[in-house]
Parts: sequence; C-alpha cells; structure tokens
Amino acid sequence: MMKLENRVAIITGATSGIGEASARLFAREGARVALTGRNEARGREVASAIAAEGGSAVFVRADVRVPADCRHAVEETLHAFGGRLDILFNNAGVFHPHNAIDCTEEEWDETVDASLKGAWLMSKYALPAMIAQGRGVIIHQASGWGIQGGDEAVAYCAAKGGLVVMTKAMAIDHGKQGIRVNCLCPGDVDTPMLAADAEARRMSYADYMKGAANRPLGRVGTPDEIARAALFLASDDSSFMTGAALVVDGGGIAG
Amino acid sequence: MKGLAGKRVVITGGASGIGAATVERFLQEGARVAVIDRDAKGGRALCRKHPDLAGVIEADVSDPASVDRAFNDLDGLLGGLDVAINNAGISIRHDFMDITPEEWRRVLGVDLDGVFYVAQQSARRMLAGAGGVIVNMGSTSGMNGYPRYADYNSAKAGVIELTRTMALELAPKIRVVAVCPGYVWTAMQEAEYTPEMKAAVDAKIPLRRHARPEEIAALFAFLASDEAPYITGHPVIIDGGEIAGGLASR
Repeated sequence: MMKLENRVAIITGATSGIGEASARLFAREGARVALTGRNEARGREVASAIAAEGGSAVFVRADVRVPADCRHAVEETLHAFGGRLDILFNNAGVFHPHNAIDCTEEEWDETVDASLKGAWLMSKYALPAMIAQGRGVIIHQASGWGIQGGDEAVAYCAAKGGLVVMTKAMAIDHGKQGIRVNCLCPGDVDTPMLAADAEARRMSYADYMKGAANRPLGRVGTPDEIARAALFLASDDSSFMTGAALVVDGGGIAG
Repeated sequence: MKGLAGKRVVITGGASGIGAATVERFLQEGARVAVIDRDAKGGRALCRKHPDLAGVIEADVSDPASVDRAFNDLDGLLGGLDVAINNAGISIRHDFMDITPEEWRRVLGVDLDGVFYVAQQSARRMLAGAGGVIVNMGSTSGMNGYPRYADYNSAKAGVIELTRTMALELAPKIRVVAVCPGYVWTAMQEAEYTPEMKAAVDAKIPLRRHARPEEIAALFAFLASDEAPYITGHPVIIDGGEIAGGLASR
C-alpha cells in the first residue's frame, strides 16, 4: 500500500541532497511531485529520473527568496496536477560557516531568506489551496541547530531556530482549518551541503565526516533517512501530529 | 512500516487503550507480539480477539520481581526481543494538597519505576542479541505543567530524561525514544472527564479534538521500525498542537 496515493506535493530545494531523496521517495509512495530549485538542469534531471521510475514529477525553477517565484511555483503545481496541493516540504536552505563578526550582511540575508523567509513565503501562497481542500501538510526543514546552538553558524542557527517556533505558530493558526505543520530537525547528513561546509572550513571531507559522526549512533545520517521521516510527517500515519519538531540526528543533541 | 515483519515485540499495558491499539497495529505489520498486563481478564479478551498474539503475561510492572518473572516467561514465548513498547501507565486526578504518600508511590511506581524495570530487562536481551528499539511512553505532561496531576507529570518528566540517558548509554546497538501524547480518548480519559470537560479541552487544541489510540499506535510503529533508523534519544510530541502554544494548560 502506498502512503501518499493521490497526493500532490511541492518540495523546495529538490535538485540535490535531502530534497532530491524526498522527491524520489514521495513519488515512489504515489505522490505527484513538483520540484523547485535554482539549478534548472539538475532539477530537470531529477524530474526525469522520477518519470523513468514510473512516477509523476515536474520541475519549476524558483528561488524561494523571491516572492514572485514562490507564488509562481504554487500556481504551476496547481496547474500541473489538477488544482490539488496536499503537501509542502520547505526543504531549501543554504549554509555559510560564520560567527557574528565574520558573517557578512549578504550571507546573513541569503541564509535567513532562503530558510526562514522562503518557508514563510511558500506557506503563504500554498495555504489558501490547502484550506480550500480542508486538509494539508506543511513540513519545514529545521535542524538540531535550531534547538541547540552550533559553532560558526550564527545566521543558520537563527534561521533554523526561527523555523522551529514558526512551525508552532502556524500549527496554532491553521489546525482548525485541517492543516498540520511540523518540522524536521536533522543532524549532519551526507549531502552536497556538508561537503561544501567542509571545504569552507578548510577541512578534508574525511576529517570533517569523522567529527560529524561523533554522536551516539556513531555515523552521519543519509538523505534517505531524513526523507523517510519527512514521509512519515507527510502521511496519514502522523495524523495527530502538528506543531512538533521531529529530531532525526542519531542522538546528537540528546546529551 | 519497513522492517517490522517478524520482529519480536513486547507491549506493556497492551490489554486496553493505546496499548491495545498498538498491539493491533504491530500485528498488522506482521510482528510477533506478546503483552504484559496486570489485567488478566482484559488479557484473555485480547487473546480471543487476536489469535495470532504470541501471548499475554500477567504481571505488575511496578514490581521488579513480577517483571523478572514476566521476562522469563517472555523468553519462552518469543525467544529474544527486538522491540519493547513501554506503554503501561496510570493516572489519578487529585489536587496536589490531597495526594497521599501511597498514591504518589503508586503513580511513580507504575509510570516511572515500571518503565525502568521493563527497559532494563529488555535492553539486557537486546544487548545479548542483535540490538533493538525501546520506545517509552512519555507525555506532554512531562513537558508542561498540568494542575491535579503532580505525580503523573513528575513521572513523565522522569521518563523523558530516562529516555535520553538510556539512548546515550545504549547506542549504537539500541535506539531509545519517547512518545509524548497530549489528550487521547481512552477509557482512562473517559473515566475522568464529563462531556463538557472534553468539549472544553477539544476547543483549546489546534486540531480541535483528542487523538485516537490508533494515531499513537502509528507513531510507535514508525519509531520502532526501520523507517526511523537515525532517530534516538528524543521525545516525540503527538498532541494535535496542544503545547505549541501551551493552550490547554491555560
């Protein structure tokens, strides 16, 4: 039995990493998926790969920092899939490793706008269609560093912490309209973002990964493991969960 | 859920309420399920309803000797253990000023001591085997204050911290997670609430209703399964948004 049969999902930042893994998994579970991202070539590749597996996917180029792009992504999704929208996974995000002194205004704005403002903008344009249906699920990609602090990541921690509380605020406002809003809080996951962070911190990927694996389960997470948690939050198996932060980090912030 | 088929599962307090819904869900997933419950009559009814149940063992989780005997019986029934669902619990609605030492001990005995006894017995078997998953019943009551349940709230806060500490010590072989429900419509709840009280509570919950026991069972199944291999050491709230704004405690 497929868990997302007849559902329509938008996944932002779906051209690589957790977003791509989630798009593929959601499609395998029966959802029709709209992928957004800034890298058009990569986005079309992922959509084609899903179609090759028998799934249904479209790519819509969008920079979630831009309101018109967010509105367009929602409109294109509704247009492509018969006017339905059941799931919004606000996954897009960027990371710059800096403390409060080193962080430039551009880096701050890019980080906070992509993660936090983008999640709000996408929700703003997606919610009316969900409310009209009387049901919908929104998942924000937060982080363990939205609950505890991390080193050299001041803008990222601010944005992710904002997402954890925005999740609760949106859950309160839209629960009575049949909308569930939850967030995921992954730990380190083996994605291109992690490789880029290793480079920015001038560390070899092997050394970086060794440090990242220093947590109770003794390893970093895989994109598929985070995608499976997103699937749970998107599916009816979590029908009473809203306003929650699901931490998926190998026990990283338990101690 | 991936990886639950054939798993050997023990569920405490499985004869009624959330426990019984969890038994049903794990059986549907193809798991081999045994129940520990102090309610012998309820246990026999459960066996009649589910002929595929491995068995029901009568035991009181607040009594370490009783739990020890139960796990000896469990070894005979399942021959090892992959998943423990520490669900058994009780609550008494009473003002803080009226709680007797006996009531305090009874609630802490079942809700916190019982979780510890069952978790330790379970972990012993999992460490000797291929590992496993222990899911403890916490509650939003262990995170927020609620009048008239001082003993219950204290026990549930203890369960959440026990969960984190066990996760740190038992990793990577055993994952330990807590489920923290808000209001769930069970016989335990029904006994304590008038229809007016229920409506007043529902109005304060963002999803405007209590949870169904099956919804909590679905979270137990997810966390225990191979769908959640990277989740350990955390309380997972399932409360319809109740404590997102602390609404129900106002």
